[in-house]
Order: sequence, then structure tokens, then C-alpha cells
Amino acid sequence: MFLAMSTAALARAYDELRPRVLERLLDMRATLDPSLGRLDEATARGQMNAVLEHLGNFLATGDLGSHRAFLQTFIAMRAAEAQGPASVLAMMVAIGETAAQVVQEQLAGTPDGSELTLLLTRVTSSTARAVNDIVAEELERRLAEWHVVAKGGS
Amino acid sequence: MTQTTSQGGIRVAGDTNVGKVRTTNEDSMIVDPIRGLYVVLDGMGGANAGDVASQTARDAIRDYVIHNRTTMEPKALLEAAFMHGSATVFGKAQASREHHGMGTTVVGCLVLDPTRAVIAHVGDSRAYLLRNGRIQMLTRDHTIVEELVDRGLLTPDEAERHPHKNVLSRNLGAKPDAKVDVSEIELKPGDRLMLCSDGLYGYASVEAIQYLLGSGDAPEHVARDLIDLALRGGGGDNVTTIVIEAPQPPQSSTQVVRTSGAIAWWQRRDRFLEIAKDRGLPKNPICRGLAPDEALDLIATSLCQAIFHDLEKSTGVNVWTFAQNIAGGWFERSGEWAPLRALMDILATAARAVVDEIGVKDANLGFLLSVAVSRALVVAELAIGGLLAARLDCVDSELIQFHAQQHDRTYSQPTLEPTTGDTGDTGVDNPELAESGERFVDNPTVPFLRADRPITSPGVNAELIAAIEKTITIARARTSHKAELVKQILAVLESIAIDATGTFASAVLAAREIYGVRPVDDTGVMPLFDAFDQARIIIAASVHQITAPDALRAKVLRALSGAHQRLVGATTGLVLEAVAPYSVRLRQAQAKTSQMRDQVASAERKRAELERKFASTIDQSQPWETRGNTEW
Repeated sequence: MFLAMSTAALARAYDELRPRVLERLLDMRATLDPSLGRLDEATARGQMNAVLEHLGNFLATGDLGSHRAFLQTFIAMRAAEAQGPASVLAMMVAIGETAAQVVQEQLAGTPDGSELTLLLTRVTSSTARAVNDIVAEELERRLAEWHVVAKGGS
Repeated sequence: MTQTTSQGGIRVAGDTNVGKVRTTNEDSMIVDPIRGLYVVLDGMGGANAGDVASQTARDAIRDYVIHNRTTMEPKALLEAAFMHGSATVFGKAQASREHHGMGTTVVGCLVLDPTRAVIAHVGDSRAYLLRNGRIQMLTRDHTIVEELVDRGLLTPDEAERHPHKNVLSRNLGAKPDAKVDVSEIELKPGDRLMLCSDGLYGYASVEAIQYLLGSGDAPEHVARDLIDLALRGGGGDNVTTIVIEAPQPPQSSTQVVRTSGAIAWWQRRDRFLEIAKDRGLPKNPICRGLAPDEALDLIATSLCQAIFHDLEKSTGVNVWTFAQNIAGGWFERSGEWAPLRALMDILATAARAVVDEIGVKDANLGFLLSVAVSRALVVAELAIGGLLAARLDCVDSELIQFHAQQHDRTYSQPTLEPTTGDTGDTGVDNPELAESGERFVDNPTVPFLRADRPITSPGVNAELIAAIEKTITIARARTSHKAELVKQILAVLESIAIDATGTFASAVLAAREIYGVRPVDDTGVMPLFDAFDQARIIIAASVHQITAPDALRAKVLRALSGAHQRLVGATTGLVLEAVAPYSVRLRQAQAKTSQMRDQVASAERKRAELERKFASTIDQSQPWETRGNTEW
């Protein structure tokens, strides 16, 4: 389904709602990720805002290459906080769904609201797909290592 | 056993099952719609004490609420009811040897009206809230590990793998009173509260629980399905769950459209199959061995049905199950990632094409379905992502084992063998020491481990030695026959206490003997220090059982306490020596991590700038789907 509005306009609409999305995410950050729940508000705000800012850029550009690069870094950073890939996936999906929910509430009944909700849902779908691709590639690398080590160990 | 009921439009159902491993069900529950009281209890204790504890607390809590609900404020009422339950269990445990030490966890909910409820809990039974399709935990487990996580001493991942992750810090029955966590929550139309014992969340993922809870099925079906989920996950414990649903809002226009969307989707199923076939679904390696029609029927029709049912009920449970079955089956056959990704892409493309065709005829319905189908695809990715993460964990564990074995072989070469008289190679976990061929216990570096260090002792005589021996004999008799380590410590304490050399030597030697080849981690060191503590408690109790004047008993206690302090001090010195090389490496790794995080943050800022520049160069007249290199 093609979008009637330009994505630049939709990205602007998203940027206007970003503070509300951020507040909602901060309220529920402990359920998104336990390590975020333990951070002080300013640090958590900084981290969540970085994700939302990147989503805004992705909405505008649709550039999957940079999106994938961002996700790779994000998965590595969350791994350093002892959060596995499944929790990163759940977190990114929750962020996308929350953003769509806020848009639905704030722009209910407007064409902007419908289109932005649709676009955010697609972004979430694309994000989930990319996270799984990254994890699957990592799994294949480790399986290859496993075969080498197992062969050497026998 | 399922209990179902309703209270002022609130629908409730509870179910419990003994599980697949246990022979008795130590869980209990209260489903009392008249008072709006819903409680899950999970008993513990040897023999049959667990079910006695949970049933005793259940009856006490219910009676307390019945008799005091008109005179007390709801939060205070539930808290006091739980405390009364604790006192009753404690009293019963004290009165009977066979019930000694029994206790129970509890989580309860007092529904005040369709918009308010009070939640209270003690232990690791939990309450969850499902709102707008998302689950959140309302309680925090009272376990020792969880407290360590709260204090920042453990990460959640470490907590998950911690050997003592299920050790409770609070329960009902351990003490006459109990510290109860109580809170009040606002209920919104359609909210679902779920109370459960650890037999549910210990054997089912939170995501699976979320999708069952949000399935739109009646509470009795959800309660039963949750129990089935735990049983499919292994059913290693008793499992109990109560599902409470706030009254549903009147059907909105969105719901009417949702039903039309489901019907429109189902009417286009032949088109979905046709596109999937054209895109090459039957040729995908996952369908190998199946006739083309069979492949379409098994895979494409199944997804089509799953999306239809999820659209009807506004849930994701059917698509979740579909994706998990497909991916799980493929991974079990050692299938690679690429065919699975290709299959999912074919199905996604077919679904989006069908939705676009519907959108041409009815734009509103098209938008709605487009959002719903995108969400269904997200659900499928979540289910697959869970499997991928589990596989990654599994491969990681095996790789760690392989590397550990390789490491053991490297540091167990003949040149590094312990010298005569050694019983083990404690340098195995410590490459630096292993390289030097010395065990850390042979190379004391901590000053207070000096064996010739003098000690302050009032001296020993024959009378005191005899009294110490009697005390240790009684202490050994009081020690469980399985507690070999405690018995060993008691014997060592006796020899240290009666040692007349007046130096630290006997304590140092004894500490080295007991420490042996123990690794410096929770499974190696913690049981040793627990045993030290138990030995101290047993001695303090035993010294009062010897026949001797009070003054002599005091001397015995002083001598054995001094011996205990020297032994623990010497052992601590050994632990410090063992961890010293790791501390240096840990500090280096922390410094490196911090430096790398700064670099990542800097790179992220640069990337954001570049993305903004890129965004400004895009031709906005082009449709979004055709820009960049997205898959749409």
C-alpha cells in the first residue's frame, strides 16, 4: 500500500510526538528492559531518545543499510549490559508499538495518524526482521566455530 | 480443576495442576467472587508440609478477610490477612515436628470494583497485568538473587543462571509476622490480571504468556491454556493460575471494522495461496518432500488461517504458534537460516499483496488490514527470534565448555603437575600461577597468613581440652550425616582450639587443607562459608549441653570462637590470593569497555548527522517504498 503523504511530512509529525513517546517509554522502561529500569532517569532518557531519533531518521530515509548498522551496534551494547538478543528484539518491537500507540491516540481520525501508524508498524516489522537476520548470521558464525573446535577437540 | 465465576461484569477463572514431576500439589488458591478475593499460594517444606502450609495460610487469609472486610481499609485488610496467615502457619509449624520449617509464598488480589484492585504478595508467586496487549509484572520476587540484582551486585543475566536463584528472602510461615508488599492499581476496561505460582513462569516464556493472556479467549480457556503451556514446557513444578478480566468496553467501530477485515482477508485466501505459489513457496527447501499443493496447504493455508483468527480476536497467538512450529521444526532438522528467511519473505510478500488489493477497493479497510498484517509479521519474527536466541545460548554454552576443556588440557601438562603430596591442581583456573608451576596455596603472600604469626590465647589445660572434646563430640552428633564439610570443619576447629603452640600455623594449615581445589565462585566458596557459619551455630548450641561449670563453658566458647575466627581469616586470605590476578584483569577490561562505549557513542552521533544529511538529499516526490534499499 502506497502512502499518500510524503515521508518527510510523516517524519516531522513523528518528531512532534517524540517527546510524548519518550515519556511513555520512560514510564514503562522497567518492563522493556530490566537494565533500563535500574538506570537513573537522565541516562535512560538519553538512551531511549537515541533510539527514537534513529527511528525518525529511518522513517525519513527508509535506508535499511544504516538501520541494520544501528541495530548491530545496539545489540552489541545491550549484550554488554547482559541483555540477550531476544530481549533486544522484544524491546525494539515494544518501542515501535508504543510509538504507534501514541500516534493513534494523539492523531486519532486524521489522515496523518493513519499513515504514520502504518509506517511505524512497517518500521517495527522491518526492525524485527533485521534483528533476526543479524542474530542468525551471528549464530551461523558461532556454529562454524563450534564445528572447528569440535573437530579439533575430538 | 478449574474454577470460573463472575463479579459485577468481571470474569474470573482459576486452574491448578500437579505438573509432570511432583506427586502432590502443594499449591492452593482462593477464588471468592463474593468478596472479590483471589489468591494463589505455593507451599514448601519437607514431606507433606508444603501443602499443609499453603492450605493453612489459604484458610486463615480467607477467614480473616470474611470477618474484617467491613471494618478495615482494603490495603490494610489484605496486608493484615497475609500477616495473620503467616502467624497461623508459623504456629502450626512450631506445634508439630513434622511441619517444622514449612512455609508458603502468596500473591493475592482484592478486587474492589471494576476499576480498582489491591495487589499483595510475599515470595516469588507473581501478579501480571495485560493492558492493550502488553504484559507487565506487578510484583517483584522476594528472592535473595533479586535483592542482589536490586543492589547492582548481579546482572539480570547472571541472576537467571545463579544456582540460588530460587532461594526466597521472604515467605509466610518462617516468622510469626511477614513483610508484605501491597499496592493499589487502577483497572481499565478489558484489562486482564493474572496471578500465578512459579510453576507457570518457570516453564513458559513471558512472550508466550502474553499472547495467551491477550488471546481474547474466555478466562477459563486462558487459565487452562496457561497450565497446558507450563506442562508443555516440562511441567517440573506444581502450577496454578488465576485470570481476572475487567469488564470489556462496548464494541467500538474499530472492532466492527476488525471483523470485516478478518472476513475480507479470509475471502481472499485463494489469492494469497496463488501469490505464494507464484513466488516459489513449494520449491523452498523447507517444503522438500511435499507435493506443491500439500506444501501450500500445510504452510500457506495455515498462516492464512492463523492471521484470520488473530484478526478476529485482535491477538497474535495463532501466528506465534504457526511461526514457532515452522521454525522449531526446521531448526530441529538442523536447517539453515536462509531457506527459513526466504519462506517468511514469500509469505510476507503474498500477505502484503492481498492487503494492497483489498485497499484498492476499500481504503479504510486496507489501512486497517495493512497495520494488522504488519503486526502479525512482527509476531512471527518475535517467535522465531526466541528460537534463534535459545539456539545461540546453547551453542555458546557448548563453546564455553569446549574452550574450558582445552584450557584444562593446556594447564595440565606434565611440567605443571603438582609436587609430591599435592592432591589437586588449584592453578588450573589461574593461568599465571599455572605457568609458574606453583599453587597459590604454596606461595603465601598475604601478610596475615604468616604461619609464625603469634596469637593471643589464654592457654589450654587438660580440663579445657576435655571440655572442648566433649563439645565437639556433641556438635558432631547434632550435625546431619550428609553435612560432611561441617563435620570436617568441626574436627579442624577442635585441633586449632587445643593447639598449644601459640601461633597461627595450625589455622593456616587447616585452611589450606579444607580449601583444597575449590574454585573461587558461588558454587565453590559459598558452600564453604555457609559450612563455617553452620559449624559456629552448632558449637554455640552444643557448648551448653556439656556438664561443666559456667566459667569452663565460657572458656570453651572463647577457645572455639577464637579457633573459628583464625580458620575463617586464613581461608579468606586464600580466597584473596586466588582472585588477585583476576581483579587486575577485571579492572583492565572495565577501562577498555568504558573507552569503547565512548567510541560507540561518538560514532552514533556521527551516524545520526550523516543520516540527517542523507534525508535532506532524498527526492521527496518519489514513493517511500522505492527509496533507499528497503525490502518494501
